[in-house]
Amino acid sequence: MAGQELAGKVAIVTGGTRGLGLSCARKLAGAGAQIVVTGLDKARGEAAAQSIGPSARFVQQDVSKSADWPAVMRAAAEMGPLNIMVANAGISNFVPIELMDLDTFRALMETNLKGAFLSLQNATEAMRNHGEGGSIIMMSSVMGRMSAPANTHYSGSKAGIRLLMKAAALELGAEKIRVNAVLPGITHSDMTAGFDEAETAPALIPMKRFGAADEIGDAVLFAASDRSRFMTGTEMIVDGGLVAR
Amino acid sequence: MTPIEDLRDKVAIVTGATKGMGRSTAILLAQSGAKVIATGRSEEAGAETAEMMRAAGGEGLFMRQDVTVEADWKKVCEAALSQFGGLDILVNNAGVFMVKPIQETSEADFDWIYRTNVEGTFLGMKYGFEAMRKTGRGGSIVNVSSLMGQVGFPGATAYCATKGAITGMTKSAALEGADLTPPVRVNSLHPGVIWTEMITDQFGDDAALQQAFIEETPLKMIGLPEHMADAIAYLISDQSSYVTGTELTVDGGRGAD
Repeated sequence: MAGQELAGKVAIVTGGTRGLGLSCARKLAGAGAQIVVTGLDKARGEAAAQSIGPSARFVQQDVSKSADWPAVMRAAAEMGPLNIMVANAGISNFVPIELMDLDTFRALMETNLKGAFLSLQNATEAMRNHGEGGSIIMMSSVMGRMSAPANTHYSGSKAGIRLLMKAAALELGAEKIRVNAVLPGITHSDMTAGFDEAETAPALIPMKRFGAADEIGDAVLFAASDRSRFMTGTEMIVDGGLVAR
Repeated sequence: MTPIEDLRDKVAIVTGATKGMGRSTAILLAQSGAKVIATGRSEEAGAETAEMMRAAGGEGLFMRQDVTVEADWKKVCEAALSQFGGLDILVNNAGVFMVKPIQETSEADFDWIYRTNVEGTFLGMKYGFEAMRKTGRGGSIVNVSSLMGQVGFPGATAYCATKGAITGMTKSAALEGADLTPPVRVNSLHPGVIWTEMITDQFGDDAALQQAFIEETPLKMIGLPEHMADAIAYLISDQSSYVTGTELTVDGGRGAD
């Protein structure tokens, strides 16, 4: 049964210490994978790894800094050949165009877009080394297909991830490295803690509620598993119908 | 195919289940614990599907159905309600395929492909919604569109028209389904080239052709019915409980360029 479909597999989940990333890490671990979770905050990261269980390990990392990547890849290699990369780390804030200084813009782009690229590059190298392929999952967003005011940098970064994903899928397919993106809608997490669900969801979202982090985790688990072995270059939207209208 | 765990006590209808993707899907859902009504036009092939579902340890039966006939939909949905106590899952898989340039496509050709692919899917959603509403447990509908419901293909204008219609109808139905309590989710699946009778009836069961498709596909493999069954199982299960109105493309990367 699907229960242990990832037994013997090794995964990295960036930004895996809370919210969507933590849910993804729990789902993968629940299916039998060994996990490296990464994040900026050491105390929170170690607590997260402990809460996932003995199959998880935390490595402190800023995904946008290439110097932080070797330690992450070494930790994964100690578990075994890398099979799964969930490039989840991302930040969000709302700033109108004219008020946004370049540092704010760049900080978000470097984490969200460059971080996704470095995740892809490091995962590809590790997966090539063992030649059995793998699955790379990019956390994009419905904000990469639609948008909202004061969100140029975030929407831009998430739209960039969609096309980065497609280009990578075409480049890596022959090596059986699959690359897909998950596009969450408005999902309960620290990132959306300031949103009022009762106020916004009924009018905005066809399903009239925010998503749960685990509903994103289930999509990532599908994309990580062999159940999706013919799927690459695909955007999986998990948004309660938000972009359908 | 990987059985999934949360389909116990669910009731499913799978159309076009006498071969190919529909048959694989019916078997996987039955194996995963759902009670499955597999439908299609061929009694003989349908009986084989029913036997395969039983052999996989599942519970299911075959009913003869032409998806373009309203009376057949009433009969099938009625059977789900009366024999299995409700309807939770509908896989609108039945479809036909044709490659013909525009000038060679007769009105009769167009009507034929349109009736099965578009009206068949529409009627499925119409009677499926009704049966799911009566059941009161919400539900999930998967409409099998195609990569050709997302991008064009030369010589396939009529087919692309029907599969594009499915892509659009799915989103509208998803918005209606989201207003039901509990909600009925509706999503479309977009297969790339899947090696089934749909292809081999049109082009012949030709190893060189299969190799050409493999070469054209970024993952360098041919799509198989079981790949689609696994994707459909994700979309109809509670694992996708926040997914509605979306297009899931499973095409080995063909559509990514």
